[in-house]
Amino acid sequence: MKRRGRGMACMWYPIGFTVAANPSAAVVKVNEDGTATLLTGTVETGQGSLTILAQIVAQELGIATDDVHVVSADTDATPMDTGAIASRTTYVTGNAARIAAEKAKETLFEVAAPLMAVKPSQLEAADHKIFVKGFPQRNMHIGDVANHARVVSGQPPIGSGYFNPETLALDPETGQGKPFGTYVYATQIAEVDVDDETGEVEVVRIVASHDCGTAINPMLVEGQVEGGVSMGVGFALEEEILFDANGRQLNPNLTNYIMPTSLDMPEVEVDIVDNYDPTGPFGAKGVGEPTLVPTAAAICNAIYDAVGVRITALPATSEKVFKALQAKREQQPKQIGAAPNGGGGSSASVH
Amino acid sequence: MPDKPRVIEKPDVLEKPDILKPPAPAPLVTFPVEVVVPEGRQQTPAVGQRATRADARLHGLGQTKYIDDMYFPNMLFAKIKRAGIASARIKSIDTKEAEAMPGVIAVITGRDIPCNSFGPSLKDQPVLASERVFHAGDGVAAVAAVSEQIAAEAIEKIKVEYEPLTPVLDPLESLKLETPGVHAPSANIYGHKLIKKGDVEKAFAESYRVFEGTFRTQMVEHVPLEPYACIAQWDANGRVTVYSTLGRITLGRADVARTLGIPMSRIRIIATVVGGNFGGKNEIRAEPVMALLSKKTGRPVKCVYTRSEEFTASTTRHPLVMDYKTGVSKQGKILGRKIRLVLDGGAYCSWSETTLGKACILSAGPYNIDNLYAEAFVVYTNKTMTGAMRGFGAPQVCFAYESHMDDIAHALGLDPLEFRLMNAFEEGSISPTGQKLHSVVVKESLLRAAKRFGWNGLGDGNGTGVKA
Repeated sequence: MKRRGRGMACMWYPIGFTVAANPSAAVVKVNEDGTATLLTGTVETGQGSLTILAQIVAQELGIATDDVHVVSADTDATPMDTGAIASRTTYVTGNAARIAAEKAKETLFEVAAPLMAVKPSQLEAADHKIFVKGFPQRNMHIGDVANHARVVSGQPPIGSGYFNPETLALDPETGQGKPFGTYVYATQIAEVDVDDETGEVEVVRIVASHDCGTAINPMLVEGQVEGGVSMGVGFALEEEILFDANGRQLNPNLTNYIMPTSLDMPEVEVDIVDNYDPTGPFGAKGVGEPTLVPTAAAICNAIYDAVGVRITALPATSEKVFKALQAKREQQPKQIGAAPNGGGGSSASVH
Repeated sequence: MPDKPRVIEKPDVLEKPDILKPPAPAPLVTFPVEVVVPEGRQQTPAVGQRATRADARLHGLGQTKYIDDMYFPNMLFAKIKRAGIASARIKSIDTKEAEAMPGVIAVITGRDIPCNSFGPSLKDQPVLASERVFHAGDGVAAVAAVSEQIAAEAIEKIKVEYEPLTPVLDPLESLKLETPGVHAPSANIYGHKLIKKGDVEKAFAESYRVFEGTFRTQMVEHVPLEPYACIAQWDANGRVTVYSTLGRITLGRADVARTLGIPMSRIRIIATVVGGNFGGKNEIRAEPVMALLSKKTGRPVKCVYTRSEEFTASTTRHPLVMDYKTGVSKQGKILGRKIRLVLDGGAYCSWSETTLGKACILSAGPYNIDNLYAEAFVVYTNKTMTGAMRGFGAPQVCFAYESHMDDIAHALGLDPLEFRLMNAFEEGSISPTGQKLHSVVVKESLLRAAKRFGWNGLGDGNGTGVKA
């Protein structure tokens, strides 16, 4: 019969490279109509990072996401970037983009200040306007300021910036140091059905509570989590590159390398944990990689909860779970019905 | 094993003039020209908005140009011949028959690469293997032809004579000093990391109970929808433009410059919209080969990996063997933890050093443990190279430490949630490397997930019967 179990796993994960410098640079140009262009060397790999960067620049300049056009990933045209890797784009490239936007904004404030008879430090930008702090009615449209900057003041509002997470090299003897600027945290809880006759595991539901600092775009965070969970389900239950005795892959194709399809996906409930990291752009950290980190552990803990077998070698294929159940039954020949605390961990482990 | 090429009976371009023509233009897609900008993109403040992506509409309408969609006049198509043997000495490579095929414009081997090595940290990876083969997916020669089919057939006509060598396939074997070196005279252990804190043996001696467990993970592939692809175009000024699925163009340009032996200023790398990376596109692959084929032919050259090549000739996730030992107090406080990780590093280093570091640093889990000894090794084997993949070792160690945590909780009769909360990091906790942590919310995430899920205490390891 099918038995239902639940299991949890939590994790921590760093944002950015281990100790090594991993800077990003960015250039922000404010156009005459009050829109902006961001130049970045990072690459859109499908995760939506260019939208996140546009939102960060828009926030700093007080304009909307759609007002920011992003030009990316051309070594002739865009500034250096360590790349779309290590869950670093929102945090590292995002900080660089925010700083670049802030510098362009400083020029806008210098241009606007005499027009509004105040000091630049008294100005703020929001809702497409540059206004005097505390006196929102004293304002100018950002486009008017940007155009004035170009055609009257002769100060094109262009800013550049860079960011590199602060780290400290690890001591080679003890490993002590500060390898990363910041970390994120998460918990996933899985509910699974295990067929105790066939060993087949179906993941029914996963609740995923993830910290990413400020969620710059909650919809894209949800997308990352759902994608990460699907990758985690494959890692937990199905995916494995097999080799023959001579070291050649046996299943380098999608017929024999099994991975989850949409039909194998559990219901995923994404929960974003409120947090703010003062070192990130508007409090943001990152979310790309961590989304799959706890999935396999949560599923295997749920399998244990369901049928009392501990899978110690991934993936927990039906065959492996079946063999573990068989081994468990052989060890408990006279016990019929419930065994307290299942297999007790390692006693029914499968390698 | 590479895909079987589609065999063309008579690959004579004169008889089949169609294959010299560019592909027919894509059918006209009709779509509304007046675009309604979704609200989330128009709102201020921008941060926190559920703004849709600027590229979503193009993806939805099939208008995004991936490399496979790009065509330049007179463009050639390239294929790379794979070794198909895990460890061997190359005795000879005969390309004559392939070169003589109608429609084949150029063939190159590793000897044509000015500097035939690269890698993000250790430069141990040949662009095309010329003397030794270290894993079955190694490229040994490349062909540029007027069509992909002709190129695929031509690589079958390249004859490579190998002297087979015994491959090292098991990471634990590779770890042993007596095992022959995969990259002899270099040692098989090519990376080591140690994190020490407190006195772990003393902690075990003082523990109420000590638990041990060994956990293993498998090799997996990134499986992006879009396989690796690149187009190189060498121009008359001696400048080469490379369109690539690369996720790191700054490093990529430096690597291409180094392997080609030309200044970086002569290289332009444009990363197109990438159809999934997950870490598998974080270093160059065939860019130098395409650049040289383009230089040799004076024509743009395109290469798109087959799904099979994506498995065998790009990086994969490191399999790990993980030994855990944990001492706890009677109440369930973790007093000490000792960990040994062995990473199967495959044939080349690639991003193994980063993976090794992250795996080791994260291996104790998000818990306050005063006495810790975590040691990690990465070893060469003659298997597909392992490299960056979403999580850099973290999914592997999390599988181990969280399975281990549940085993301990069950043995102590504690609710896994309670056991985790008792030991989890909090604001200001000190990490295994001695870093003071900020914005820590692991307990919050545990409690929120438990509430949302409806977690209700310790199970009995026998599940709940549900309808079959």
